Amino acid sequence: MAVEVRMPTILRKYTSGEKAVQGSGGTVREVLEDLDGRYPGVRTAVVTDGGELHRFINMYLNDEDIRFIGSLETPVSDGDVISILPAVAGG
Amino acid sequence: MLGFRIPEPIARALVEHAQSEYPKECCGFLVGPPGEVREQVRLTNVDPDPVMRYEADAKEMKRAYDDLYDRDWEVVSIYHSHTHTPAYPSPTDVKLARDPNAVYVLVSLQDRGNPDIRAFRILEGRIEELPVVSEEIAMREGE
Repeated sequence: MAVEVRMPTILRKYTSGEKAVQGSGGTVREVLEDLDGRYPGVRTAVVTDGGELHRFINMYLNDEDIRFIGSLETPVSDGDVISILPAVAGG
Repeated sequence: MLGFRIPEPIARALVEHAQSEYPKECCGFLVGPPGEVREQVRLTNVDPDPVMRYEADAKEMKRAYDDLYDRDWEVVSIYHSHTHTPAYPSPTDVKLARDPNAVYVLVSLQDRGNPDIRAFRILEGRIEELPVVSEEIAMREGE
């Protein structure tokens, strides 16, 4: 499955400044692994050592927050758009 | 040191947002072409302790980012208010600052009748203040 992955500005250092890149895989996790092969650092910026989505990263598959629809195991389809959004928080 | 330029109406709108949420912290984005503040995007603070902390609503951020993506704009600044402390990044602000490109703007209502706006970059735990330059004031100075 070929999907578009929209990168936040803070992750564009891994993609030579590209704001969106193409990835492939059957799930969100597989797409991230595919991207990490070409843009090393992307996966660890998003996924913890334990294999979970970082607490302060939100990922959307089209308009759905993946935490509510299967997290990193959410299946993707051709033409889907994944958006990576760092949380905005403080005190 | 470069200043942080902000149109006067947007500076006023920041204070209005902070006042309207008081005593809770408000939060939002200032967006525009790279490096240029054109519009304010108010975001809902969904932190369970909104008087002391903030976390922007993820769904609203998604909508904002989609709009920015389509316009080739970016988040120039991330703002929030402090209602009981000065307009200076708290240890939590520094710890959670994710974006080295963004200017972090703080509005303090510690003295509620005399709001204070200050701007900072936060890079790997270091805080660098940028003087806030209101564009209306800058124009007067140039006259």
